Amino acid sequence: MNPLIFTLKIQPEFILDVAQLTPDNLAGLNKTEIKSLKLPYGKNMVPLDTLFSVTGTDSNNIQINRSCEKLVAVGRYMTHGTINVNGNVGKILGSYLHGGTITINGNAGSWVGNNMSGGRIDINGNAGDHVGAGKPGDTFGMTDGIIKITGSAGDRVGDRMRRGMIIIYGKAGDYCGSRMHAGTIIVLDKAGKNSGAGMRRGTIILAKKPSHIAATFKSNGNLKIQFLRLLFTQLSNMGNEFSIFKEFGPEAHRLSGDLARNGKGEILILHTLNLRN
Amino acid sequence: MEINGIFIDDTFAEAFPMKATRIIITAMNLKWAHKAANALRGFASSVIACGCEADIERELLPSETPDGRPGISLMIFAMSTKDLEKQVPTRVGQSVMTTATTSCYAGILDGKQIAMGKSLRFFGDGYQISKVINGRRFWRIPVMHGEFICEDTTGVTNAIGGGNFLVLAKTARHALTACEKAVDEINKIPGVITAFPGGMVGSGSKVGSKYNFLPASTNEVYCPTLKGQVNSELSEEIGSVLEIVIDGLDEESINEAMRVGIKAVCSFGPKKGICRISAGNYGGELGPYHFHLRKILK
Repeated sequence: MNPLIFTLKIQPEFILDVAQLTPDNLAGLNKTEIKSLKLPYGKNMVPLDTLFSVTGTDSNNIQINRSCEKLVAVGRYMTHGTINVNGNVGKILGSYLHGGTITINGNAGSWVGNNMSGGRIDINGNAGDHVGAGKPGDTFGMTDGIIKITGSAGDRVGDRMRRGMIIIYGKAGDYCGSRMHAGTIIVLDKAGKNSGAGMRRGTIILAKKPSHIAATFKSNGNLKIQFLRLLFTQLSNMGNEFSIFKEFGPEAHRLSGDLARNGKGEILILHTLNLRN
Repeated sequence: MEINGIFIDDTFAEAFPMKATRIIITAMNLKWAHKAANALRGFASSVIACGCEADIERELLPSETPDGRPGISLMIFAMSTKDLEKQVPTRVGQSVMTTATTSCYAGILDGKQIAMGKSLRFFGDGYQISKVINGRRFWRIPVMHGEFICEDTTGVTNAIGGGNFLVLAKTARHALTACEKAVDEINKIPGVITAFPGGMVGSGSKVGSKYNFLPASTNEVYCPTLKGQVNSELSEEIGSVLEIVIDGLDEESINEAMRVGIKAVCSFGPKKGICRISAGNYGGELGPYHFHLRKILK
């Protein structure tokens, strides 16, 4: 079946909430019903077909074309299916995601995958602050699933995350993995200041030595971490997009903390020449 | 029926339902994976007194293991899931975790799950770390050699135990030589194990005993030294009998294992001291699976 394609007719002037455009919400609706859906646009509710042209039929496989930063809440509460977006998206991409896959061919705003509990978000571009974090007031951030960012991410990646994995191929901002409860964050380029600040448990893997590590992290020395071998093998088996992890070996400098919170988290700084063989 | 001059008895091997799991042991190299696997399968020849039957299924290439290291696939069979729940954490804890550089993973991912790392994690005394990768939970237990990684649970599947055949030969040397070749051939079949030492039993048993406290006792009709005393199954020239017992995940794999095993034995022929092939048939008292020798070898 052809994917259900939404193409923006105009560049929106205001914030456009597209949370309704998920396989869950569109299942069983015919094209007329879909076109007449009302979307929050600025302070108003507007019919979908005033902003989007709609083609295709497969509501399990949604595509959004000519997207821009004004589109927010893409894939919110989604439980299955796929959403592919060509262009940038705004805030809270994939928030409360339970399952399925969201792929963004562009940049994403802040709060990507906040409170997500499953599924996968692939961003082929950069992401803003608070990736995989919890909303202010929430105990936990993401509790499961995978977020993959091929570009860089902003500050407070994985703030309060409970489980799941965030993989950033580019740089991460300050306070990466702050207040983590568990889970894994991998940053393949430089991370900013205060990585792991306030973390209780969890793992932050940095492929490059950061310029700053908080004094409340204690060095455990240079070790061969068996878990890294397992993780990188499992990742590289997950598909070609993770084939880079075949190159990484288990040697790392381990730091544990954050001792300011009696934390048992870890920062693993991979050795520069840490090839598998 | 004869194969290469060896008479095949018109009988069947009688097998019974079991529960099985498969685990994967990896280590820095195959030598140490073997050491762990051999420790785990020690004293696991028969459920009669060992609690389980276990053996190496095959060696694994690094590309076949979860962590990319060389490994061993090992299967453990028991009479019930409850028995496996008791045996698996105990054996993994005492035999695998104690072996240097090892890790232990589930070899069956679906079906009912029994605890493995889920129980052993407490050895970490609070320093253990749980990691979920691709939906699978692993425990990182800090140990003196570094880190022992153990998967949270392993899956249990229905299985069959007690597929067998008897090799009747002139001397123990003749029987042993043929059985060694048979076991080598059986070990190439996936999904089966031969849990007894060397893959064969020198003291095959029958069900029950004259003593009330014994569930099994010597199979006197196949004991060469009792030929004159009991209603023996052995003719004059037979001086030694060995039994190859096969546990498998399904009937097809046991069929195939028995077929290749018997053919390997028969390839020696009467000139090398092999006289007959028979099977452990206990008159239907032991189990519902009947592997008819002549049907298998057709």
